[in-house]
Amino acid sequence: MQDILVYIALGLAIGFLVKKYFFKSTKDDNCGPGCGSCKN
Amino acid sequence: MTNDNVVKVALIGNPNTGKTSLFNQLTGLKQKVGNYPGITVEKKQGFCKLNESVKAEITDLPGTYSINPTSLDETLVLDTLLNEEGDAFPDVIVVVVDIENIKRNLLLFTQLKDLKIPTILVINMIDQMNRKGIHINVQKLEKQLNTKIVLASARKKIGIGDLKEAILDYKNIDITPVGDISIKIDKEYFSKLKEAFPEFPLYKSWLLITQKKEFDFITEDEKKLVLKFRENLECIKRYQHKETIFRYQIINDVLKDTFNVDKSKATDLRGVLDRVLTHKIFGYVIFALILLFIFQGIFNWATYPMDLIDTAFANLSSWTKSVMPPGTFTNLIAEGVIPGIGGVIIFIPQIAILFTFISILEETGYMSRVVFLMDKIMRKFGMSGKSVIPLISGTACAIPAIMASRNIGSWKERLITILVVPFTTCSARLPVYAILIALIIPDKRIFGFLNLQGLTMMAMYLLGFTAAISSSILLHNVLKIKSKSLFVIEMPNYKLPSIKNILYEVVEKTKAFIFGAGKIILALSIVLWFLASNGSSSFKNAEEIVTNKVENSELHPQELQKKIASYKLENSYIGYMGKTIEPVIKPMGYDWKIGIALISSFAAREVFVGALATIYNVDSDGENTGTIKERMAAEINPDTGEKRFNFPTGMSLLIFYAFAMQCVGTLAIVKRETNSWKWPMLQLFGMGILAYVSAVIVFNIFS
Repeated sequence: MQDILVYIALGLAIGFLVKKYFFKSTKDDNCGPGCGSCKN
Repeated sequence: MTNDNVVKVALIGNPNTGKTSLFNQLTGLKQKVGNYPGITVEKKQGFCKLNESVKAEITDLPGTYSINPTSLDETLVLDTLLNEEGDAFPDVIVVVVDIENIKRNLLLFTQLKDLKIPTILVINMIDQMNRKGIHINVQKLEKQLNTKIVLASARKKIGIGDLKEAILDYKNIDITPVGDISIKIDKEYFSKLKEAFPEFPLYKSWLLITQKKEFDFITEDEKKLVLKFRENLECIKRYQHKETIFRYQIINDVLKDTFNVDKSKATDLRGVLDRVLTHKIFGYVIFALILLFIFQGIFNWATYPMDLIDTAFANLSSWTKSVMPPGTFTNLIAEGVIPGIGGVIIFIPQIAILFTFISILEETGYMSRVVFLMDKIMRKFGMSGKSVIPLISGTACAIPAIMASRNIGSWKERLITILVVPFTTCSARLPVYAILIALIIPDKRIFGFLNLQGLTMMAMYLLGFTAAISSSILLHNVLKIKSKSLFVIEMPNYKLPSIKNILYEVVEKTKAFIFGAGKIILALSIVLWFLASNGSSSFKNAEEIVTNKVENSELHPQELQKKIASYKLENSYIGYMGKTIEPVIKPMGYDWKIGIALISSFAAREVFVGALATIYNVDSDGENTGTIKERMAAEINPDTGEKRFNFPTGMSLLIFYAFAMQCVGTLAIVKRETNSWKWPMLQLFGMGILAYVSAVIVFNIFS
């Protein structure tokens, strides 16, 4: 059961990172990906 | 004028120009206060004796910034001035402007002048002229604005007699507009407007079109024509913008020759402060002292909350392991997620302190003085004074800072600013610097009050600015782009900072840092933990292999567990990746674990600490998790037996992070702002090579 949870978490994490860096964001143009200090 | 013995006067001006004081001076106790018909806006009227036989009926109209109304009382100004048949329609308008804000106040004046009603310009608060170092060429200004000007001080009762004389002589005032807006906006459109309303002054027709209300004083045919002209709303809005720009162009041109502020002659508090804060020597000394104070504050005040947060996360990690059922998911939470998130939260105190100081400097008006102060230096380096704003904004984040360079007129200066801004120490570098400085610089004081760690942090910020400025000199000489620009900055008045504004700014920026970086760090922590906790057959059989290797030596069970954990990490997926890049990073003094953190932080620099926290946590024996700082401090270099984060490696890392272009977001924004991949690639490789070479040199010097 714990292994399944780990794989789900891993899938979500990879999905988030791929979406963040490989797909163009539809959010405010004032901010780019990976920026910690501006409003994402 | 309904009666030759009474001159109707409309007193108009921006709010806070001293209009009501002037009204009181002119009318004394001869005032009547009522309401405008149908609405509850106060109507103030009064009488003033101009000479033995003529008196003025003065209406104090509500304060307004422009003739385009945004509120009910501002609408009254428009209604009064457009309805020639109305009771309050003036024979003469008296426009009151504040000498300190003359540029902004003149917008309303130029609009009123276009209505072709005799208009007198009262420049109020002239008692401040000498103290503020202001000089006005009244004759030239009168000529350029086609009007009669009266210099007055309502509070000091100066110029009241001159104003009365001017009102008495209103029939001789030139009613020619200051400029012809139709030429600048759309000549054809305004010709049609003129044909449609031949009886009206052109600007009155334009105002009828641009307002969203119905005017009762025009005929039904005129109303239909107004509606017809109003059909293309988009076009009207565009023309209104053009009108405002054109008016400010005229005002700038007029004031350039007639209005001069010599700060060196100012004797008021603002003038004195400006002279000191923008002084060619003291200005820089004060700025340096302020920076020193800020960075001392960051280290001195943030230590206690940071230690608290660090310990709390270490305890949370241990507690999670103790209460959750044993297994991989528990390990992921305790060894991956919690340390990773802790690596972001820990820096809240430092970031909040930095932004509190920056907000205070902006709120008080000091930052504008810094911009002015820096302009002279910046020009020598191929940038403009306006480049200081992106460079200072860059201490928060390079992305909005690069976008802030849009107001730099010269393309060359703007490009140089865009290219050098990433050298500025952004808040993402702060966590990396903070942890490395805490590890390699002793917590000592110089002269009893200067914290050595705070000084090092300040040196890192200065290094960033120096790198930015040095690169701009290089780019200024290399880039063959011809362009010119003019630097104009309006100095705001000094004021006490608003606590509400500062709190809002600090909370917003800190929140953005946590939620922006936090999501990436959480995701990367999970991926890194997975890669560090899984591997090939050597990883899976680590226990057996290590036990066989050490079976003859007498090892304490805890030491054996440590050896197994290290062996597992070395043979994990992340271990293989790290070992692959190790030959490249070894000259800088880094091992493969630092290499992994380095690669992970290419997305965002602040990931470095979280990534190391995750890697070292997986590497631990599982019993003693410790704080991030403790784990990094305890890491030993197996080749030398010395601490991994010793002075040479720490310095090398500091230099690497100071110069390397490790921010995907910044690269994306540079591409968008320059519309080319050439410039972000130049930054990536240029800064990368500089960072690598500098880090190798620094490591070898200190080794």
